[in-house]
Amino acid sequence: MTTVNGLVVMTPTSIASAGSGNSSSINADGSVDFASCTRISLNGVFTSSYDNYMVVVRFSSSGNEDVFGARLRSSGTDNAAASSYTFRMVQASGTSKSPSDTSTDIAYAFYVDNDIQSNGNILFLWRPNLAQPTGGRVVNQDSFSSARLTDIAWTHNQSVSYDGISFISLNNALSSGTLTVFGFNQ
Amino acid sequence: MMSKNGLHLITPTSVAHTGTSATINTNGSVSFTACQTVSLNGVFTADYDNYQVVMWYDATTTVSGTLKFRMRLSGTDNTTASSYVQQYLNVTRNSVTGFRQTTSQSELNQFGNDTCGLVANFYGPFLAQPTAVRTVTLGSDGAITAPTIYDCVTTHNQSTAYDGFSFYTGSGLTLLTGRVAVYGMRK
Repeated sequence: MTTVNGLVVMTPTSIASAGSGNSSSINADGSVDFASCTRISLNGVFTSSYDNYMVVVRFSSSGNEDVFGARLRSSGTDNAAASSYTFRMVQASGTSKSPSDTSTDIAYAFYVDNDIQSNGNILFLWRPNLAQPTGGRVVNQDSFSSARLTDIAWTHNQSVSYDGISFISLNNALSSGTLTVFGFNQ
Repeated sequence: MMSKNGLHLITPTSVAHTGTSATINTNGSVSFTACQTVSLNGVFTADYDNYQVVMWYDATTTVSGTLKFRMRLSGTDNTTASSYVQQYLNVTRNSVTGFRQTTSQSELNQFGNDTCGLVANFYGPFLAQPTAVRTVTLGSDGAITAPTIYDCVTTHNQSTAYDGFSFYTGSGLTLLTGRVAVYGMRK
C-alpha cells in the first residue's frame, strides 16, 4: 500500500517580527522560534497545495495576561479590514465560563500568560489560500490563574487568497516561543 | 532516530452522493458540490485504529441546521434505533448550552450559508467494538457573521467493524459544497 503523508510542515518563505529587542528565525525543520516579540508574521505558509492548516504554538509572555490576535496576510501585508473578523469565544477559568461575541479588524487567537512555555495553543484554519472567506478555530490552554481553557471560533469575510498570517499582541507584551504551521495533505 | 509519518491520507475505495457531484481527488481527499449526502467507503481499515477527518463546507441555506452522520459498512449506513448517543456543547452569540440525545444518527457540526469547518477524531471505527467520535468545530448560526462552536461527542454502541461513514444535511433543500479528507493515525 502506498501511503501519503497526511500532515506537511509548511516552512515560511520569510518571517518578520517586531518588539523591543525582538528576534525570530526559521529552523531547519520549518518551525519558527521567536523571542521578545509583540508580533510575528509568517509569509508563504499557505499555498494552493492545501485547503486546511493547523498552527501549533508554545510560548510565554512578559505580561501577566496577554491576548494575541491573528490577521491573515497576503504578499507581506496584513488584512485589517474593519469588522471583517467575527469570533465567538468561551473561556473557563475556575468555575466560570463566559461566552463573548465580537466583530472587529482582528481575530482573537491565543491567550497567554507569563509562565515559561506553559501556554499551548492549536489554531485550525480552513481554506485561507482560497479566494473565499476563511474560518478559524482555536483550542487554547494558558496558565492564567494556574490553568485556563479558551475555545474560539472565527470567520473572516474577505474573499482573498492569503499566503500568510500575523500574530499580534493586543497589549504590547513581549512574547517568546516556537510555532509550526502544518498543511493537511489532500 | 528514524522518523515516520504519523498521519496518513487515506483514499476511499469509492464514494456515493445525492446531489450534484462528489469526486475523489488524486491524493485521496473528496470534493463535493451541492450535495445533500456524501458517503465515503473503504476509509477505515485494519491498518489504523484511530482516524482524523478534516472538512470545510458551505451550505445553501441562511437557516442554521446540523450536519448529521452515520457509520457505514459495505455501502450501507447503520441506522439502528437509539444506537448513537450524542452530547454537544454549543457556543453562540452570548450563550453556552449543552444537550444530550440518543437517536439513530449523530451530528458532526452545524451548517450555515458560509464558512464552516470541522476536525473529527474517530476512535476504533474498524474494530468490532463501539465507536467513539469527537469533533472540534467552526459552526454557523446561518451567516458568516455568526460563527459558533458546535463541538460534539458521540458513542455508537454497535460492535461492528465499519469501513466508512456518511454525512448529510437531512434536507433536500440544503446542499453542501466543500472538501473532506480522512487521515489514519499510525499505531
